[in-house]
Amino acid sequence: MKRFAFFPGCLIPARHPAMEFAIREALPRLGIEIVDLDNASCCPDPIYFKSKDKLSWLAVAARNLCLAEDLGLDIFTNCSGCTATLSETYHLLQNEVLREKVNKRLKRIGREYKGTSRVRHIVTLLRDFAGYEAIKDSVERPLEGLKMAIHYGCHLLKPSRIMQVDDPNDPSVMENLVTALGATPVRHRNWYLCCGKACQSDEVPSNMMHDLLGTVNDEHADILCMICPTCFGQFDFGQMKVSKQFGEDFHTPPVYYFQLLAFAQGVPYDKLGLERQRFKPDCLRRFETTTIPEG
Amino acid sequence: MPQKPKDSPSGKNKVARIDFRFRRELAEKIEGDLASFCYQCGACVGDCPATTYGSDFNPRDIMLKVLYGLGDELLGENSILWECTNCYNCHERCPQDVKPVEVIISLKNMLADLGIYPPAVEKVIQTFEKTGRTVPLSDAVNRQREKFGLPPLPEVPMEEIQKLIEPDSEEGEKD
Ligand code: SF4
Ligand code: SF4
Repeated sequence: MKRFAFFPGCLIPARHPAMEFAIREALPRLGIEIVDLDNASCCPDPIYFKSKDKLSWLAVAARNLCLAEDLGLDIFTNCSGCTATLSETYHLLQNEVLREKVNKRLKRIGREYKGTSRVRHIVTLLRDFAGYEAIKDSVERPLEGLKMAIHYGCHLLKPSRIMQVDDPNDPSVMENLVTALGATPVRHRNWYLCCGKACQSDEVPSNMMHDLLGTVNDEHADILCMICPTCFGQFDFGQMKVSKQFGEDFHTPPVYYFQLLAFAQGVPYDKLGLERQRFKPDCLRRFETTTIPEG
Repeated sequence: MPQKPKDSPSGKNKVARIDFRFRRELAEKIEGDLASFCYQCGACVGDCPATTYGSDFNPRDIMLKVLYGLGDELLGENSILWECTNCYNCHERCPQDVKPVEVIISLKNMLADLGIYPPAVEKVIQTFEKTGRTVPLSDAVNRQREKFGLPPLPEVPMEEIQKLIEPDSEEGEKD
């Protein structure tokens, strides 16, 4: 077993516990041991709190990294927003002047940031520590014939020099992960667009989502595979809003990748919380003909 | 050559006076000084979703205003800065490592110093400062978790967080 400290953030544990459940089902089947972090806070979020005061934002993020340093483990995130904050903190604090400023703050609570724990997005755990083959082997019901459009979102890939996950102009990691499930990845024309959640105008996100969902529809995808809980919200509730606003029928169910993985590994559909979504991935049910002992 | 700004206070006498105080304040924010390297090539614009899907937003233009020191045009109620989607495309594209999105966030830090936030933004910040989370804990949250066999979420040690986010007055970080 390879061990990693788990940084679940706010959105997944509090708003989408089904996603956390799926992660806890899926990773151990791939030889990855989840070590829980005590006393973590919000990463803090890279949109709102960072807009208030970057130095405080860095200090709180560094404190979260210190918790993993105490355990002597690398830290992994399941939300692209948390990854953005923690990876950027790791990167910025390689600068000594900044590190000293942040450590002055941490001294107030008797902590020191050392930079010994690396930050990893959960996707890279699968790719680099489990491997696509092992994922394929863990799959008990291959999702053959399912077409999955992929929404990479922004912070899994960008800024690439800091995230160091994949080529932001032509990534492949999610395609490979979808292929490992037995499904068929499809790349829609507007795959590189953002979900727009951080934007405070109404115009930008709704126009962008409209364009994006249009090209997802062109591909007749069964599922929109998601890797970020913030994007997920935009495509679940948001998809309904955009459909109404433009008078068009958009209805591709968004599903977080780890729920797909856990399902393919044999976790029953009804245990995965998918019925709570506005757009339900009923297309998965046809793979459930054989009953598999509980995992 | 870029045109002289039209309606800015500094443009009144047809002379652009650079507000260096604004630029110095911005430069004190983390990565706020990077705008100085902008040579106005516009590579950040083509892939900017807020430019493509909005009406007025343009990261090159924002960098130009910073270079001219036109703080007044950026730092007010309903600032255009909030249309940025934080997608990081400009960071990816800029040949000068300006990181326009980081300059924009530094400008938002200046807005925060003035106490100006959109209500939705302020609400999330307050939730974080009160609870250490952006999604607060509640019995309903823990009941949901229980359904998935997950333990209740623990409280965040707020004494630590509050100490960390206090400004640096005694250490002389800010004047
Ligand atoms: S890409 Fe960089 S150098 Fe070019 S205009 Fe944008 S910020 Fe300036
Ligand atoms: S981060 Fe903001 S300014 Fe930069 S490309 Fe995205 S929306 Fe435009």
